[in-house]
Parts: sequence; C-alpha cells; structure tokens
Amino acid sequence: MMESVLSEDLYRNPHRLSHCGKTISFNCKRAPGTNDNEGSELIFCSLSFEREGNTFLKAADGAAVISRKRLAHVDIVKCKSVTDAHKRATAPCVLVIKKSEKRSSFQYSLLTLSSSNRLEPCVEFKLPYQMKGAVYILQGPTVLWRHEGGVLYTSPQAEGVRQVPIHFSHCVVGELPLHKGQVFVLGLQKLPEESTSQTLGYFVEDGQVFDGSVILPHLYISITQCILVVAADRVDGVLKCDVVAATSNRQLVYFENGVVKDVCQLPFEQPENIQVVNTGRYGSLFAVSFCEGHVCTIWKETFQIAALWSSVTSIHVDDFLGCGTDQMLLVFKDRVIALEEFLITDLCGISFSHGQDTEAPKTSPPPPENYLLTLKALESRLQSGLTVLQELQREVTVKESVLRQSVKALTDVVSEREPVLTQHEQEGLIALWDSDDESKNEALDDKIHDIPAVSSKPRIDKLWHRTTEGRMVVGVILTTDRSAPVTNVSLSILTDTGQCSRPAVIQTQSQVFWLPAACSSPSSSSSSSFSASTFPEPPAKKSKQHNAISTNDLNACRVAVTAVTKLTPLLNSGRVKCHVMLHYIQTPDAFSFMSNQRPVVLHCGQVALDIQNNLHTELLKTPQLIADEVREDFLSLLAVLDHWVFHIDSPEYSLGDINGWIQKRVGCKKIEVSPQYLLLNSSGPSALMLLNWHQITPFQGELHVHSSQLQMFQFLDSLLAYLPESCSIQPLKGAGEQPTDIKSVNKGGRTSEMLLGEYLVPRLPWKQISKAHHWKC
Amino acid sequence: MYQPPSLLEKWSQENNELVNKCKQQEAGGGAVSRDHRQSSLRWCSSEFHKLLRKIQGIPPHVDHSQLELAVVYNTCVCFTAQSQFSEAELLLKEATERVLQVTGNNADTSDPLVLWRAGLKSAGNTALHPHVLYLLCLQWALWLAKCQLENIGELQEQMSSLCEIVCDGVGDCSPSEAKGRLSKSPLLVMEPKRLTELLQICTSIAQGAEKLNEGRSSEALSDLQAASALPATRALVAYTHLLSGSCLAHMNRPQMALQCYKRALETDSRCVCALYRSMLIYRQLGNTQAEIQALRLLHSTLMLPPATEPVLGGIQPLSPSLLLSSQSLSRLLSVPSALSVLYSLALKCVLSGRVTEGVEHYLDLLAALHSEDQHAVDAEVSVLPRMLELYLEAGTALLFTRRPADCMAFCNEVISTTLELVPEKVVLEEPEEGIGGDARGLSVEGEDKVAMLLWAAAAYLLQGHCHTHLKDWKQAVTHYTRCINLLVKVHLKNRDFQPQIPAADVNVKHGKDLCTLQRMKGLSLAWRGISFTQMDQLREALRDLQLSLQAFPDYTGAGLWCGEVLWRLGRKHEAAACWEKTWSLTTQTSVEKLPLYLQDPQSGPLLDSVELRLRIQELGLT
Repeated sequence: MMESVLSEDLYRNPHRLSHCGKTISFNCKRAPGTNDNEGSELIFCSLSFEREGNTFLKAADGAAVISRKRLAHVDIVKCKSVTDAHKRATAPCVLVIKKSEKRSSFQYSLLTLSSSNRLEPCVEFKLPYQMKGAVYILQGPTVLWRHEGGVLYTSPQAEGVRQVPIHFSHCVVGELPLHKGQVFVLGLQKLPEESTSQTLGYFVEDGQVFDGSVILPHLYISITQCILVVAADRVDGVLKCDVVAATSNRQLVYFENGVVKDVCQLPFEQPENIQVVNTGRYGSLFAVSFCEGHVCTIWKETFQIAALWSSVTSIHVDDFLGCGTDQMLLVFKDRVIALEEFLITDLCGISFSHGQDTEAPKTSPPPPENYLLTLKALESRLQSGLTVLQELQREVTVKESVLRQSVKALTDVVSEREPVLTQHEQEGLIALWDSDDESKNEALDDKIHDIPAVSSKPRIDKLWHRTTEGRMVVGVILTTDRSAPVTNVSLSILTDTGQCSRPAVIQTQSQVFWLPAACSSPSSSSSSSFSASTFPEPPAKKSKQHNAISTNDLNACRVAVTAVTKLTPLLNSGRVKCHVMLHYIQTPDAFSFMSNQRPVVLHCGQVALDIQNNLHTELLKTPQLIADEVREDFLSLLAVLDHWVFHIDSPEYSLGDINGWIQKRVGCKKIEVSPQYLLLNSSGPSALMLLNWHQITPFQGELHVHSSQLQMFQFLDSLLAYLPESCSIQPLKGAGEQPTDIKSVNKGGRTSEMLLGEYLVPRLPWKQISKAHHWKC
Repeated sequence: MYQPPSLLEKWSQENNELVNKCKQQEAGGGAVSRDHRQSSLRWCSSEFHKLLRKIQGIPPHVDHSQLELAVVYNTCVCFTAQSQFSEAELLLKEATERVLQVTGNNADTSDPLVLWRAGLKSAGNTALHPHVLYLLCLQWALWLAKCQLENIGELQEQMSSLCEIVCDGVGDCSPSEAKGRLSKSPLLVMEPKRLTELLQICTSIAQGAEKLNEGRSSEALSDLQAASALPATRALVAYTHLLSGSCLAHMNRPQMALQCYKRALETDSRCVCALYRSMLIYRQLGNTQAEIQALRLLHSTLMLPPATEPVLGGIQPLSPSLLLSSQSLSRLLSVPSALSVLYSLALKCVLSGRVTEGVEHYLDLLAALHSEDQHAVDAEVSVLPRMLELYLEAGTALLFTRRPADCMAFCNEVISTTLELVPEKVVLEEPEEGIGGDARGLSVEGEDKVAMLLWAAAAYLLQGHCHTHLKDWKQAVTHYTRCINLLVKVHLKNRDFQPQIPAADVNVKHGKDLCTLQRMKGLSLAWRGISFTQMDQLREALRDLQLSLQAFPDYTGAGLWCGEVLWRLGRKHEAAACWEKTWSLTTQTSVEKLPLYLQDPQSGPLLDSVELRLRIQELGLT
C-alpha cells in the first residue's frame, strides 16, 4: 500500500522534454524487488501525439540503472534536449545526482538518450558540494552552474570541471544560434580602482573574452533573469545579434546589437525561461514561462502579448503534429506514461486539448478565458496589421507633400516666378532728406551772434561735467518759464579764447532731458515721461534744426541738457578750460513758434577739465541715493551710452511683468533719482546698462536700452527667451547707426551721411526680431 | 570594434525625435481637422509611453533620471491633453517614487501631497530639481483639470517657488552656462514656462470663480485684478476682466462692472460673455436703449462664424479649456444661444416702442427657426417660448405696426393648429397658498390643453383687434365672441373664488395661466363692448363692459368706455362716477410680465380723458 502511494507520487510531475516531435519524460525510481544489489534506476517514456485520438501514445520506454548501492539517493537535476557537438545532432540529455550515504561528495552524471532509445552516460563528475540555483544544460552538451561567485562548467570536450577565469558579480548565461555552438556567459566585472563595473562576455568553448555590451547593455545585466538569442551573425569578426531578455522589472526587452528595440510589460513575476515558437507564415512567438506555472506568449513582430496561461506544469515547443511548424505543448497535469491534461496550440489555428474539456460536459461552451485568449490573439494580429497600415499611411503623406512641393516649384519655374525680395532701402530714402535745410541753417547761423538775449531767458541752475573712457560729458540743468517755453535746445562747447583769437567749436552731441519739477520729488512724478532725445552736433554748425525736438515744446519747469565730446582733442590742444554755450529758440506762444523762431545763444559758464572727475562712481555705489551728484551721474550716463528704443508687440499673448523680470536679473537696481530707470550692472563698470520699460497695454510696450551694442544684443537675447513666442520686437530708434551693421559703430566721426542714417532708422522697417530668428552677436 | 550607443544617448535621441515630430504635427495642426490632431496626439502619447517603459525597465539611475523625468513629463502632457488624468497621475506618482529611490530616500506613503514634498526635498539642489518641478507643474495641471483646488492651495509655497524658478529663470546665473545645459537636456513637448504661465492664470481664474460663487467677491476681485497682469493669451486675460466685472456686479457696482466688461471686450473681441453680462447690467439699470444695443451686438457676434483660434508658434497641447472645467466657472461663462438672444431683442424692441425693429427681429427669428435643421431647433426650444406663442407675439407686433392682414395670417395659423386640440371643458384649479405647487391636480396633458385653449383664444382676441383696427365692428364682435366662447370653457375650481387676478409676482405657471385667463376675459369683453358701442348697440355694450370690469377690474379702458356708454344712455352721473373711479385706480399691472399679446391694442377708438373731465365739469355746473 505504502509502496503504491509512493510510486504514484513518483510518477507525478516527471521531468519532461520534447525531442523530434515527441515528448520524453524521465523519472527516478527504486528498482523493483529489494535485492541487495538492486539500486536506483532512471526510467524514461517517450510519447507521440495521435491526432485521431487527441491524445499522446507511448512510443518507447526504457530504464537504466544508475546506482546499485541501496542507500544511495538518486535525483534528476534537469533535463533538456541539446546539440551534441560530437554527433552533430540534438539529443535529449538528463543530469542526475547521486548522493553518497555520508553526503560528503556528490556524483553527477549527464546521460543522453541515443536514437536507439538507450541511455548512455556522457559526462560524469564529482563535486564536494551540491549545485544550488540555476543549472544549465547547454549545447555541447555542457553543464554550467554557479558556485560561490564562480561560474563552473563541464563538457566531454572540457575534460573535467572548469571554472570561468573571470569573477562576475552578476551573470547571464546564453547560447548563440551559430554554426559552431557558442555558449557564453555575460557578467559584470568590478573594476578594482573604480566604483563602476564593466560588462564582459566569455565564450565557454574557446575561452575568448569579449565586450558584453554588444549583447546586453550594461544596466540590464543585473536585472536580466533569462535571455534568448533570437539571431546572431558574425560580420567581419563583429558579433551582431538580436536578443530577448526577461527582466526582474516584469519586462520582456528586445535588443538589437545591444540597443533596446522594444519593450513588453509582462504580467507575471520571476521569468524562468524563454522559448521561441516558429508558427510559419504567421510569424514567431516568444513563450516565457514563469515560476509558479505561469506562461505568457508574445508576438515577435508586434511585441504584444498573445496569450496567457496559469498552472502549467511544463511547456515545450516542438512540431508535435508533424506539420512543419512549431506548436506549444502546455502540460497541465502530467504523469510519466501519459499526459492527463494538455493543450497543443500555435495560436494560429492549431489547437488540440485534452483533459481540460473532459471534465466539463461537452455541451458547455469553452471557458470565457478561451475567448479572452482568442480575442487577445486576434487583437495582437490586428495591432500588427494596424502598425503596417500606419507606416504605409505615413509614407503616403510624406510622398504627397514631396509631390506638392515639387509641383509648386515646377509651376514657379514654368511661370518664371521668382521669390520677391523686399528692399527696404528703396522705400525710405526719398524725400526724407530735405536739401533746403542746408541753406536755411546757414542763414540762421549768421543771425545767431547778434541776437540779443530775450528778457525771460532760461535760468542755469547747475553746470557740471564728467569724464569717462576718453569722452567728456557736460551738462546743464535749466529752469524755464512756463509762459515762454524754449525749443531746439542744444549745448556746444567752445575752447577757451585765452591764446587764440577765435574760439573753436568742439564737436559735440547733445541730448535734452525733461526733468520733473524741482519742487516735487522725482519719485512722485513717475507718470511724467522722462524721455530723452539724442542728436549730434555737426562740426561746422552750432545750431541745427531738429525735427525731433521742435515738435516738443519745453513747457516743463526743468530741463537738463548734456553734450558729449571726445576728450582727446581737448587734451591735445592743452585746453583745460572751455565755455559751454546753450542754444535754444524761445517761443512766447506755444502755438505760433514755427513762425517766430529766433535762435538764442546763452553762455552757461566755464568748465575746468578735470580728468579725475570720473563718471558714475557715486551712482554705482548707491543707486538708491537721491542726490544731485547721483542725478548728474545718471544724466551723464544717459548721454554717454548708446540708446535704443524697441517697440515690443505681442498681439495674442500678454507680456506679463517685464519690469519684474528685469528687476530679477543679476545686479539690477532701481535708480531712485529716476525710478522708472533700472540700472543693470552685472559684470563691472564697463558693462553698465540703463533700462526703462514703458508698458502701453498688456500686449505692447516700449523698451529703452542705454548700453553698448553688444550688451543690448545680449540683453535682447535673454529677453527673447522670456517673451512669448508670437512676439515681435521693432526698433524705433537706433543709436545712430544701422543697427544691423556693427562695423559702422563709430561714435566720433560723424558725417552728414551718418546723420542721414539716423533719420532713416526710425522709418526703416528693420528686420523683425522673432524668436525663430536668433541673432548672432 | 563595434560599440553600441549608450542607452542614455539612444533614448535621449528617441525622445528628441518624438518631441520634434509632435511639434511638427502641432504646427501643421492649424489646417488639419480636430480628429487628426487627436489621433496624432494619441500616437505621440503611446510612443512616449513606450519609451518611458523602456527607460523605467531598468533600475533608477542618477545619470538617466533627468531623461526619465523629461519623458515622464512629455508622456504626462500627452495623457493630460487627452483627459487621461488617472494614467498621468499614476506616472507622476511612479516618477516621484523613483526620484526618491535614486536620491536614496524612501517615503512609504500614498498621499500625493506628502510624496511631492518628499520628492521636492530630496531633489533639493541637484540637477534633477528643475525636472521634478516640471512634473509638479503637471500635477498642478491635473489638480486644476479635476477641480481639486484645495490640493493646489496646500502646496502653495512649492508652487510659488516653482513659478519663480521656471518662469523667471532666476536659477540661471550666466546665459552661456544656461545654454550649455539646455543643449544637453532632453527636449520637452511643452515649454514648462508656458505651462506654468497657463497654470497660473487658469488657477487664478478658477479660484476667482470659486470665490465669487461662495460670495467672497471682494477677495476674488483683488486676486483677479492681480491675475490680469499675468502673461497669457488674450482670451484668458479677457476672462480675468470678465470675472472682475462679475465680482463688481455682485458687489453692486454696476458702472465699474461695465468698465471691466468693456476691458474684457477690448482685450478679446471674441469674449461674447462680456457683452452678455453688460447687457444684463443695462437691463438691471433699466437702460433699455443700451440693453437693446448690447443685445443687437451680442446677436450679431453670436451669428459670426466661429473664429479659428490664432496659431501662435504651434498650438500648445494643453488647452485652457481643459484646465477651466469647473462648474462655477462654466456657469459664469455661459452665454445664451443666438436665437434666444434674438427673441429677447425682438421682445425688448416691441416693449420699448421700437415696434418696426421688433417686427423685423420676430420675422428673422421665425425664419431662422423654420430654416434651421430640426436638431438645432430642438436644442433651442427649451429656452425659447413655444412656437405658437411666438406667432402670437409676432402677430401682436405686426398689429402694432398697423399690418392687420399679416397679423391675421399668423392668428389663422395658430387657430388652425390648436382648434382641434382645444378641449370641450377644462378645469383650472386656483393655486391655494400654503399648500404649494403639489396641489396642482393637472397632468402635463391637461396643462397643455389649457395652454392650447388660451393660445386659440388669444388668436381670436388678436383677430378681433385687427377688425377693430379696420373699423369692421361686426367682424370684430364675431371674433371677440369666439374668444369669449373659448374662455368660458375653463372652469375655475375654487370654493372661495374671487374675481381677482393674483398678484403679478406669482410665478407659478398655474397662477400665470389664471392671470392670463382673467386678463383675456377682461380684454375680450371690453373690446366687444367697445365694438358694440361703435355699432350703437349700447345695452349689449354696457353688459359686456360691466362683465369685463368684473373679470378684470383694473382695466382702465373698460372703465372709461363703461362710463361713456352710461353717458350715452343718459345716465350721466353714473358715468361720471364710473370715470372718477377708473381714474382713481392706481394699480398698474406690470406690462413686462404679461405676454405681449395681452397688451392693450394701440389702435381703435380712443376716449380723451381731458374731454371726459370737461364733460364732468359741465355736468357739475348744470
């Protein structure tokens, strides 16, 4: 009774493999009878599928005595069908272990089943320990296992147990489907000096070491549970291979030459083995088996899950039907001599099952799970079709667009159309330069000297000067009467008349600033526009009609006028003192000033040149200070720096808080003497920048930039990153040169041509600056 | 030796290619259909998700984290754009957990707020920090889309520092350094800066709407006004002005509200809601001319073909409408349909004396209702009065413009439609106060019958008026009689019935029916009486006028004519008393609440009160 129960148990869940369309089971059992010399024997049973009966029938069976010792314990470790290198044919192999009574040594033997159905010993070896963990039977036949961090193997060719001479922290074992069987071990080798590790591969047959990353990327080694090399080839000695690997992150990953190609999320944990099922013209499947009897199949083409099964005892891939393509044999209930419950399918039309539907009455419909599986299979076929379709569609659209472009180009050529180039220069040049000005000015020049001072002449409040980088700034603050406003204000500098009989006029460039009234504090007048206009003074003319200024009348209380000149001529001529003359036109009536222009010259005073009187020292230190010194520095700075005005317009997207953005820039400070100006002093005094942002609506505004050109470009570049994409920046006013022509930046040598340029700039539709168009400074 | 490219390189390249493809598809999106956009978005999201699965297939690694987070960002943007919020949220959660793993922290929590705080803290000052912030932006977008404003409030501090870093680029010290980093960092499908800007203003708008809904108008107002300076598209800036206006309207400052609505319209001319709200304010202020003007503008704006959104550097995958889905906001932004606006316009014109204009609008409305496909009309019907009622109103308007023939045509249409459906007898229960609406014993069908009857009667009444206008007294009497015959079919079921019209503010439909019934009775009897007077059948006239006064005592026309008939019958003192009594009546039923067709006809014989007073004086003298 006891005996029969035991043998029943033994017969259950045998080790099984598939070989040449048959399935072979192996089991160990005590030899019948209890004679002293009878030990353990290995039995096998080969079954082949019978289509008519929908069942497996016994094809052959047999037994071999493994041990004659009574007390020896024999177990099957693993069985697999592999290529025998010697015979050049696949043969079923089974690895058995004989444990000695004392359990001090373990005898392993690998047996192969010959074509004449005889079990023949192939390799025998003894180990002082029992193999633990994964054991591989690979082509050769080679037995490979891990022990204490080392990778060991043996085969008929190896003559004894050998160890891979590299120490791997993680390793992956696989074989290449090449002519000459190539069993390899991939692993991470710790580099002694560095904290990183490198991927190394080792071919067991010839001991060749190679870079493992051609098979698996470095980071995947440690998480790969099992791999299957789908295809491999050597081109000029370079290994190329397609690999699928199941990782501990529940993914099946497809690698092509070490590059991740595709990923499929797996539904189960702990993958154990991957097999490929070639279903013929329907393509291939990967069958991944997991611990605890789960199986998942994935289409190779779409890399989508095809079907899932659970509580599977074993899965085998072979041509069980003998139809020329592979099928999967899923065994659910197994005994040595018969398969009680199984399913043969290739998910492409072939499906034979046994045991599963005998339990349920035949009339009952197949379990819903089947529908699900079919549905999933169909779905994945559909998806693969869809991807092909999408690719074709994409191709069609590309072709269409190419065709359209070609047709357009062709029609352009035929109709001799050419891209029209806009030539802004031609639009703006005419009629802007009024040649009559010349004579008029000369007439005025003559009058200037003998015009007596008008009674209510502007009062000079302050005269100051600063020097900076080879230039001198002279500035005057005047108070004018509101009832008698002045226009056309400019300053000129005359050298001291000490030795020379005639005073020489020094070339200058004047600017006028409208200051808030002296009585009110500057901060309270933030609404009043503190605008500045620049205009140069040609050498031969002390006064010049400037349209820009004559349109404004100076009815504000206080005006600051500055003039900039080069320092070198002054120093060369040894003049250290010069006279500052104010030119203006007084108009008693604001509405009739055009008819009543009377240029007036006023002597403001003398400045003694002091090159120590450097600019913006005070201002730089304490921009938040409100003092005359600071104001003078600030005005001088405005006079010296180049000035640009940009109109920023974003028709669809509001600009947001530009002022806030500027203030958050590094080194940005508010200037208290004129709060609407911001001082940007990011990298030293040579890179000073004054900014004034005037928001007109939430969608447009004006930006005044006082700085060097390079800096202006740099600033605009970073501003562009902040501004909305649909925004346009239009220069309203340049510093006197064509802004795009950087070579002509030369403040000293101003000619009338330069002047012309200056007049043109505001009218030239300067190239719109958009984000797409990046400036190269 | 062949060296495969590193995973990072390959995946970065894949990500950048995908982003470029997405952007191309979006840039071309202006021309192609919505469906195409949707399908390309779906394609992008699946591709990004695939890439993400590849990247997340290996254990988190510091070198890969930046790329990984960028791909998470891209995938989530695509998911969110397709309203796949739970998928996006799951990705964000996983990504945060992986960030924690990579930085060597662990947070065993499922609370997203705790997780985010931990994630941000652990990313700290590392290179990952901006990328974690970008993901926080998406979390913010998801919360906003799901109207979970309280979560956004919880992380207020983190959000504001996020805005500073992402929008102002405060973190970038020198431009060259920033650029160097930029070229290496993986591309993103939507600029985080733009996303943050969008989130900021949308959050302000959503919160403003919420506060307004809760009655915290002044608080909402200050927030919204601050929000109006944020960088955003015109439409969104207009929303902030619009909601500010609603707050002010709520705070009883109609003029300031109007200013805000005006600003909203100036900002975005497509902001019809501002126009609608202004119209409501004008209506509230009783500025009829402005109201009509606004209605007319509103109607013509609504009739414009839907303006295509301007393409600004490619459409952003996340649209504001996705983020502004809260109910309180959509209630504030809702605008009635073009047809119901047209109806309001027509009615308003007629009521305010611009009858000719009103008639035109009525005819337009009827034409639109006839021409438009049935599906669109069905949607409209619920907000518009019934078709027959529209006919009656249009007819009345036509009569007002002295086009009796047209009016009669409309009435005939109504009569032919209703006549077969008018019941022989119908019971109308007077609403009993205290019991409430449940006491109504009428089924929907019965209610419809009453309506049919009243419409048919109104059609006869109008026809009577038409004949009166044409001075065809005999025909007028015939039609008024038909009207009266229909009206007497209604039986009032109330024990202590009083011949009084219920207060005008009874808004129960039932009460309205009763009111209509009584007024129509009064009108038809009175005008039959007046017609009899014209035919010198004074006895019949007196009877009718007195009955009219019984049914509807407030009708001054009946009172005056009753006096006139009495005068002619020689009962001068009675006549004088009757006139005096009529003049003393001060109750003026609100004209606007009555159906248009129950208004006193503006044509027909008139009595001059001055002349009547003279007669009384003479009587007194004699």
